[in-house]
Amino acid sequence: MKPENHDLLDEDGFNRLAVEVFHYQVEANPIYGSFVRGRAVDLVHLEDWKEIPALPTAAFREMPLGSLSSRPAEAIFRTSGTSHGQGARGVHAIHDLSLYRDSLIGAAKRFLLPAFGNPPVAETIKNNIRFLFIAPGPEELPDSSLLFMFGAWMREWDDGGGRFLADSTWRIPKDRLRQELEACSRTMTPVLLGGTAFSFALLLDEIGDSGAPPLPIGSVVVETGGFKGRVRSVPRPDLYRAISRTFGIPTTRIVNEYGMTELLSQFYEPVLLEGGPEDPERRRHLGPPWVRTLILDPYTLEPSRDGDLGILCHMDLANLDSVSAILTDDLGHAVDDGFRIMGRAEGAEARGCSLIVEELARATQALPDK
Amino acid sequence: MTGVARAAASYTSREARSVVESLRAAGAALRSRTSFDLVRALGRAGRRFADPTDPLRMEAEAALPAEAGVSPQMSRNIIEGMAHGWETGALETLLRAEFPDPAVLDEFRPNGLGQELKAFGGTFAFHIGSGNVAGVGATSMIRSLLVKCPVLLKPGRGDVVLSSLLVRALGETDPDLAKAAVAVYWRAGQGGYLESLALSEADRVVAYGGNDLMVSLRSRLHPTTPLVAYHHRLSIGGVTRESLRSVSQATDVAKAAAGAVTAFDQRGCVSPQIIWVEEGAQVEPLMWAKLLSEQLRTLSATLPPGAIDPASATRFQQLAGTFEVKQAAGGAHRVLGRNLERGVVFFDPEPQVSSTLTVACRAVIVKPIPDLTGLPDLLGPASRVLQTIGLAGPVERRRALASSLANLGMTRVTTFDRQPWPPAWWRHDGTEPLRALVNWVELEAED
Repeated sequence: MKPENHDLLDEDGFNRLAVEVFHYQVEANPIYGSFVRGRAVDLVHLEDWKEIPALPTAAFREMPLGSLSSRPAEAIFRTSGTSHGQGARGVHAIHDLSLYRDSLIGAAKRFLLPAFGNPPVAETIKNNIRFLFIAPGPEELPDSSLLFMFGAWMREWDDGGGRFLADSTWRIPKDRLRQELEACSRTMTPVLLGGTAFSFALLLDEIGDSGAPPLPIGSVVVETGGFKGRVRSVPRPDLYRAISRTFGIPTTRIVNEYGMTELLSQFYEPVLLEGGPEDPERRRHLGPPWVRTLILDPYTLEPSRDGDLGILCHMDLANLDSVSAILTDDLGHAVDDGFRIMGRAEGAEARGCSLIVEELARATQALPDK
Repeated sequence: MTGVARAAASYTSREARSVVESLRAAGAALRSRTSFDLVRALGRAGRRFADPTDPLRMEAEAALPAEAGVSPQMSRNIIEGMAHGWETGALETLLRAEFPDPAVLDEFRPNGLGQELKAFGGTFAFHIGSGNVAGVGATSMIRSLLVKCPVLLKPGRGDVVLSSLLVRALGETDPDLAKAAVAVYWRAGQGGYLESLALSEADRVVAYGGNDLMVSLRSRLHPTTPLVAYHHRLSIGGVTRESLRSVSQATDVAKAAAGAVTAFDQRGCVSPQIIWVEEGAQVEPLMWAKLLSEQLRTLSATLPPGAIDPASATRFQQLAGTFEVKQAAGGAHRVLGRNLERGVVFFDPEPQVSSTLTVACRAVIVKPIPDLTGLPDLLGPASRVLQTIGLAGPVERRRALASSLANLGMTRVTTFDRQPWPPAWWRHDGTEPLRALVNWVELEAED
């Protein structure tokens, strides 16, 4: 990937920091250190961040992988567990929440706030955006890194009227959203409406033909993915068209945020900066300057050739207290200065009639949830 | 009609109706034939796949690697293995195993209780395959025809070739019989009128697939339409300490187990995903895992794996990396032969079934166990989905384990050699393969 997007940290600067962080993590995190030595990495001569061994996201479900920091964890975030059964939730212990907060605020400032004014102006826009989330509040589910992020956005930029509209079971009381949107319409307050794709799909089902008040001009919808492991799934173009139709918002004001519990940085489609494209399947994701992404050959874990499908592998310097190099189970390919995700890896698998062990938890449940 | 003519969605309602009606019409001729006549006719078509010089067999061999994601060598093995069950002798054995008096398919026969019985296969059945295990659809069609029921098959995505070639073989060897079999492929949700009509009018539906498919079918079928459901299943392996008394003996077991892992690249419901190995013998479980890894590597030279899709490779990398991390944390976990082209063994020192990722490619998990009598406790959560265990050990231990595993729902205890290739008359998932496809009609005598 080209470095133009990473103007705050050029390639050399990022590399220096990444290698320094890597050495720190090898020392501070004995399991990661042993993992790295098992790969026969030449620690003395490693000079290129692209050679840093990446830890698979699945490993977070097996054991705590935070460093042995003397500080107690300020937060324990857990993966949703929807894909692998409730008994196998990944754990990410956070020793310094301020780092996560700075990271998520910095990325949102870069990719979301321009929708509400140019970046220099964005610093002064507090009290001009209403944050509405079709999700429970972070106090309801304190182990959710996603809800922590939503809460941090709200504290940073909300006009004081923002709401988490769902209860702890993710249900939204009838007409609650309608009332909130009508209030925003009356005051012409632009809204950032956020939630998982799954929540949006359910919300749209519930709204049905009855419709919803349009979002005020200048509003933005942020969906965070999230059909993984769910029986209910909607193709993204269909979901975006339905959101656009229901809330009267152009699809170019609907943004996907791509993140995961194992990473403290997030990636966004830069549609608010670039005005498009409308079609979500033609978009790409970009991250903040402190994270870089490699596309690795799924068979060899060597860097893929330009444009080839590969596994997304992120080097996230915000993961200072755990492990920065993370091998995901997402497939994608490089597109210009970013990447395009091809869907979670389990979607397109060649399957026979064998049940794989991982599916036991789901197969032995009586019926899918919805 | 020969094989896959076109996409199902393009059938108009009139054309879909015509397909179903022509199948029903072919049923009259089918029912006028004796069951042994049908066995011979089906066997003639089936035998063509066992003959390496037959053009149909050659066409199947050439097409299967791309379609089903298997190597050319695996393609030959799979076709031969399947064709063995489609020959006259195997079909006759199947018929006799299911119906000791096969004439019950032809006429009312006395049952010795003052009644007469006849087995009816129905006027039209709809069979649905899924996934990419080749031969499942063709076998299913043959069974339907054996009980004299015309069949519309929607094969799995990787099973179109053998299904349509079987219909073509029937067309060339017995055109009347071929009129009773149609195979049309469509992607999930794109069956159009043809699928709707088949679901509403079939006397019986037979389906192979996952829970989502079965839930969907149950919601779409009339409550009185029988559904014979073959779910995705988990199969495993077990090695007793009596089979590990010497390296040579253990190597033989490893060689047989490697064959079971290799046959379908672990995509078959019969494929052993996890093999438990008893501790305390001369060859310990980790050592046996290494022997298995060596045997997989050796076998890959003559029977290389098929193409591995990126999603499976991605899952493999997650699993392999996770095992490395566990090893780094001091665990005895090992990744043996980290090369998907040669087959991979994951040694997991924990006997319990975890929710750890597994992969649908040539990879297998080996776990130690103090004694295989503890297996039922470990497998409890999986009891609804178990199917086959390949078991290496003396007959008395096999018999004892078979009884305790049967209580869990395990339906087949076999050897590693036989694991991938159940006989034509096997009771798939514990179901009688032909008797599940008939209704019995009783003709009671006057007082």
